Amino acid sequence: MSELPAAGSRRPEASLSVAVGARVGVASWWRTPTARRYLFGYSLLTPAVLYVGLLVGMPFLFSLYLALSDATVGEPIARFVGIENFISALENATFYTALRNTLVFTLGAGILKGLLGTSLAFLLVQPFKGRRVVRALIVIPFTLPIAVSVLGWKWMFDSQFSVVNWALSNLGLIGGYGSADWPVWLGQPGLALFSVMFVNVWRGFPFSAIVLLAGMTSVAPEILEAAKVDGASFMQRFRKIIVPMIAPILFVGSAFDTVFTLSDLSIVYLLTNGGPDGATEILPTLAYNTGIRAGALGRGAAISLFLFPLLLPAIIILLRTLRRRQY
Amino acid sequence: MSDPRETQAVPQDPGRRSFLKVAGAGVAGSSLLTMLSARQAPAQVKGTSLRMLKWSHFVPAYDAWFDDFAKKWGEKTGVKVRVDHIPHLELPARYAAEFAAGAGHDLIYFVGQILTGQYYKNLLDLSDLANGLGQKYGGWMENAKSAAQVAGTWYAVPDFFISIPVLWRKDLFDSIGRPAPKTWDDLRAAARLLKPKGHPTGMQFSHCNDANHNWRALMYCFGVKETDPSGQNIALDSKEMREALRFGKALYDEGMTPEVFSWDDASDNRFLASGVGSWIHDAISAFLTTKDTNPKVFEHTYVLDEAAGPGGLKLNVGEPNVWAIWKFSKNAAAAKDFIMAISESQKEAMTASRGYNMPFLRDQYRKPMPMLGNDSKLAALQEQDKITAFFGNPGPMSPAAQEVLTTFIIPDMFTKVARGTDIEETMKWGVGEIRRIYTKHKAA
Repeated sequence: MSELPAAGSRRPEASLSVAVGARVGVASWWRTPTARRYLFGYSLLTPAVLYVGLLVGMPFLFSLYLALSDATVGEPIARFVGIENFISALENATFYTALRNTLVFTLGAGILKGLLGTSLAFLLVQPFKGRRVVRALIVIPFTLPIAVSVLGWKWMFDSQFSVVNWALSNLGLIGGYGSADWPVWLGQPGLALFSVMFVNVWRGFPFSAIVLLAGMTSVAPEILEAAKVDGASFMQRFRKIIVPMIAPILFVGSAFDTVFTLSDLSIVYLLTNGGPDGATEILPTLAYNTGIRAGALGRGAAISLFLFPLLLPAIIILLRTLRRRQY
Repeated sequence: MSDPRETQAVPQDPGRRSFLKVAGAGVAGSSLLTMLSARQAPAQVKGTSLRMLKWSHFVPAYDAWFDDFAKKWGEKTGVKVRVDHIPHLELPARYAAEFAAGAGHDLIYFVGQILTGQYYKNLLDLSDLANGLGQKYGGWMENAKSAAQVAGTWYAVPDFFISIPVLWRKDLFDSIGRPAPKTWDDLRAAARLLKPKGHPTGMQFSHCNDANHNWRALMYCFGVKETDPSGQNIALDSKEMREALRFGKALYDEGMTPEVFSWDDASDNRFLASGVGSWIHDAISAFLTTKDTNPKVFEHTYVLDEAAGPGGLKLNVGEPNVWAIWKFSKNAAAAKDFIMAISESQKEAMTASRGYNMPFLRDQYRKPMPMLGNDSKLAALQEQDKITAFFGNPGPMSPAAQEVLTTFIIPDMFTKVARGTDIEETMKWGVGEIRRIYTKHKAA
């Protein structure tokens, strides 16, 4: 790059040549392979950045704006109220029930999905006749429209016509309809929470299994064979070889599952709507009933944003662990 | 958006000409009466299109009739009509989305969850229409105003309400020597005797619409007031509410089974139709469907307009349905004309709904009412206008009352007490939650 002449000694021809030289320099830089590489890279990245910015960033910022305002469904121009809506949520006794249920629901369902998904993945990785068909069938719960499958479960948990209860009753495990030991799946507080969690697990564990299966098939059979020859037990092979090798897939799968479960509104909304007496109330149902059905958008947004501090550390920890393992 | 009828004057026939003359003079009420008597839409809606959003009615035959009515109205007026039906619980989310987008259906509908108070600043003033209909049909039920007015202005036009009476089995009551029930005490006594015989009763202790209606009906019959008539001050903390809670627990202990904690809006219908239930508190759809599903039960099921409380007070809690028009509606003129047309066809609508759609207009209670008047069991509902109240009673269905409804505080209070929580502790919790909600709305 040319140096600028000292002040006072500037000649018109010299400055012109500097400017032209700089322009030529910049123009020629754009033709370099480095510039082209940058341009290509950023142009590939742009759609993803726009997608995340428009469909994730903007709604998030908008919900933050709502949570800090007294917005209602019918009042587009809202007043800034600071953290008043968050304080209001903390003053609401139902909020604590919803928070506790959300944690129990997410952790319980996550653990069950992990266990069942792992077992299923081990079964499906074995060679057997009709394996492809079974693999296709197993994902049906995950692919069915959620409203349809949940309504099916609603019938199966019906207090009077539950097919589960009739089967148990005919097997002699419980009494008949109307007897004291006839389970009311969606009516007894502990059972109701278990039931909504069960449906979430039923729907989600095939996804866990498929994710694990994809990881397992990427583990070279020779490594496992070598470990077997060296005398490693099944659990040792699983813990010391399979899990470390499929850890990146496992982490991403867990992150997805945690996010989906924490923000799952449909199952609880369709099965119990948070009842009875808040036994199955979770933060998404409370936020929906407050923000949309009651119209208090600001308070609804604040309740839903309480999920954010729960999710953010979990995702950060997962991603950092993942990065550390990669390098 | 302004009403095209105010700017486009296209006189076509003597009736409309007279209407436009009066409108020009600024006498909106009289002009609408003229239109009402002409039973004809103005010509300027011809060639336009009208999109309306409704719920999927509990009586499918009514939706079929309604869609056909809308189609024929469209053919007659030259308006291209599209009717969208969605489940009623999804309506609030749809309205929030339409309002945020500033676009959507020209004609909308609130059912159960009355959002007039939330959206009134963005809804058209329909006072001319509502007052015209009121004048023509002997006035509106006093409670209709609660669903459709804000500060004396009609931002919605009431369509109908769903009545929720007592449906009881005469054969079972006869078997224990009990006469026809008249009071809540009669119902409790019958349930106490019939439960051991395998015929309990049931009312929802869960998070569903029926739970909100049924326990409010009991409360109101016991003299409980949710707020004062202005809707500004909570009046729930009363001895009447404590009595209602005590009665609710006794009714559960003596006459129900734990399944009521899991019930949804349709569970009690199935309970009655199965032949197990001795009585339920539900809309007449539960009664009508047994005609097809269990004729024997239907034969022995009778209808009580409402059970009276300890002081003889009888207040049924209805589910209101109202029409409204967004300010951003692209065809407010056609929307208003459609509301008029459907309001004029109340008798046909009531017949199509098998007596389910109860009118809000006084003159439409002239006996015999369609479907009710010629049915000895349903005839009791012909004076439902005199005993019907809505949530928030005696206050209006304000946004605060709406939030109390959608967060199921009242059913949860009854559930807590039924499960053994102390009444005072429950009152402290429930009144505290309601006070918090009302304080928030007052501050806003």
